[in-house]
Amino acid sequence: MSTARDMLCDTASAVFAEAATAGIAPVEAAGFALLLVPEADGGFGGDWGDLNAVLKIAGVMAPDLPVAEHILSGLGEMSPALHAAATVSLMAGAMEQALALSVEHVNTRQQFGRPLGKFQAVQQSLAVMACEVRAVDAAAGAMAARLDAAGFTDADFEIAAAKLRANRAVGVVTAIAHQVHGAIGFTQEYDLNRVTIPLMRWRGAHGNDAHWAGILGRQVASLGGRGLWETLTARAV
Amino acid sequence: MQDFALYPFDPPGDILALRTDLRAWLAINQPEGDIVERANCWASFDTGFSRALGAAGYIGMTLPARYGGGDRHPLERYVVIEELLAAGAPVGAHWIADRQTGPLILRYGSEEQRQRYLPGIARGELYACIGLSEPGAGSDLAAVRTTARETAEGWRISGQKIWTTGAHLSHVMLALVRTEEGSERNAGLSQFLVDLDTPGITIRPIIDMAGNHDFNEVFFDDALVPHGALVGERGQGWKQVTAELGLERSGPERYLSSHALFAALIDAAGADPDPAVAALIGELAAEMWTLRQLSMSTAAKLAAGEDPMVEASVVKELGNSFEQDMPRRIQAVVTSGWEDPDDLARLLRALLIASPSFSLRGGTREVIRGIIARGLGLR
Ligand SMILES: Cc1cc2nc3c(=O)[nH]c(=O)nc-3n(C[C@H](O)[C@H](O)[C@H](O)COP(=O)(O)OP(=O)(O)OC[C@H]3O[C@@H](n4cnc5c(N)ncnc54)[C@H](O)[C@@H]3O)c2cc1C
Repeated sequence: MSTARDMLCDTASAVFAEAATAGIAPVEAAGFALLLVPEADGGFGGDWGDLNAVLKIAGVMAPDLPVAEHILSGLGEMSPALHAAATVSLMAGAMEQALALSVEHVNTRQQFGRPLGKFQAVQQSLAVMACEVRAVDAAAGAMAARLDAAGFTDADFEIAAAKLRANRAVGVVTAIAHQVHGAIGFTQEYDLNRVTIPLMRWRGAHGNDAHWAGILGRQVASLGGRGLWETLTARAV
Repeated sequence: MQDFALYPFDPPGDILALRTDLRAWLAINQPEGDIVERANCWASFDTGFSRALGAAGYIGMTLPARYGGGDRHPLERYVVIEELLAAGAPVGAHWIADRQTGPLILRYGSEEQRQRYLPGIARGELYACIGLSEPGAGSDLAAVRTTARETAEGWRISGQKIWTTGAHLSHVMLALVRTEEGSERNAGLSQFLVDLDTPGITIRPIIDMAGNHDFNEVFFDDALVPHGALVGERGQGWKQVTAELGLERSGPERYLSSHALFAALIDAAGADPDPAVAALIGELAAEMWTLRQLSMSTAAKLAAGEDPMVEASVVKELGNSFEQDMPRRIQAVVTSGWEDPDDLARLLRALLIASPSFSLRGGTREVIRGIIARGLGLR
């Protein structure tokens, strides 16, 4: 990651931490609406990779605030597909957090005289969850790369695929995270629900599974079997 | 967990030209073959095709030119491999030699071994098999009991390997055996390049549930191999094998083996598909696209000299599940009958039957998940 993006992420972490209690005002005051606005127009000149990184943090720290909407408003662009794209990044961040909380919990919580993480059944569940989290992170990253390479009018395939993939991961990720946490994860006080409830909400927002699967499926069917491969390889490498 | 940022896949050279040339070459040289052969095509042996592919410079691409290789970048090879698999080309004969035996010989082999084996591998004429599993050593590979005893004339190998894919069609086996008497578990193991025409070796077929003869039992009865057959360092076999398995896990074959079936589904669906079929195509396409990104990122990390053991396992786990689920999910939405003669029905039946093996070969699902769990810091 570039140093500029590292600095951006540090700022985002600090601002979103404040926003978590103060509401959206600190995000607006910090000028996040300028993130994607070109430098020539007085903006920050960030790219979609930057947006992906920032929204992953927002997905963890301020999942209930309209951070994505605020940033996209700076573009004056309200295309529904872009909101779906932004949601994928939020989901990637929230899923990483659900995994981190789960790993920490099973390494600390002891039953039968050892940490839960020493039980093979628990290890295998978390491995399944980690694969889903990794897949969504890759989807978000690749989608952002396409947006940067081709612009948002020509990233429809990637946005559809990434949102659909992220949606499909929600069930597995939230189920396993809660299962390994036991009752403590079901409390309002414990942090897990701060990411799992938003994940449940985001699955249905800006296109649920059926929505994107239908769009993508019809697009791919019109390409034909060989055409799918030619399209995939023409769009990335 | 290690940092999983998507690694840029950035091969040198003109990748578009590489793809275009290979597609044109395949249009002329790929045998028509049966559609079912195009699925799971890294199990399809066609020595004529392998030789032609080698002559065209598409095998041993990353090996140095002095050993007959192409001196190409690993990511150029990746592009070639994914094109071959997506086309369903019969790459089985040279597959293991090209993917793992060649690179392992280059890395750990002696100069003599390199000169002896690498040029034939790169020509697509010399085929290799993997001698790891034994009757008592499956998931628990460190339980290997086949032994090699050093004598004045060379090494004497005794014992048995099993499930050895392609042993009956290969020239050489890369075998993991115990060289230190009384050693336990993963200590005292070494790797050997065993020419399969060595006296004292017997290969017996095992017919798989699809009715095919792909894998075998291989018996060693005091078979004598020269001193020069030892690969790398005596006693370091475990470390070398672990590196070899990394090459095995993350390639495009983990999500492209069943591509012929997916393509047939798409073609059968037509431009105005039934909604349930369209939704399935969408879901499979999203998964395939995601897997390709993951696999490319892992390949790029490998090429940069990193050791993405956990990521390679993530690719294998997700890829195996994708390919195993695909025929089941397709069967749930199409009307094809078990005995129907059309392409889709025949591919579907073949892959339903082949699919249990996907999460066994190359490390079982449970073993792979164990590796991922270790990467998470749980073991
Ligand atoms: C098509 C095919 C091709 C193959 N080709 C080759 C080849 O070319 N060369 C070669 O050397 N081998 C080859 N193999 C063998 C393959 O590597 C083994 O099948 C695999 O390592 C599993 O060993 P096993 O079959 O003895 O099963 P077992 O080890 O007996 O396992 C049976 C089941 O128990 C589970 N299990 C085992 N131990 C544990 C544990 N500790 N915790 C939880 N679950 C566990 C396994 O995951 C599996 O689900 C091939 C296999 C197949 C199916």
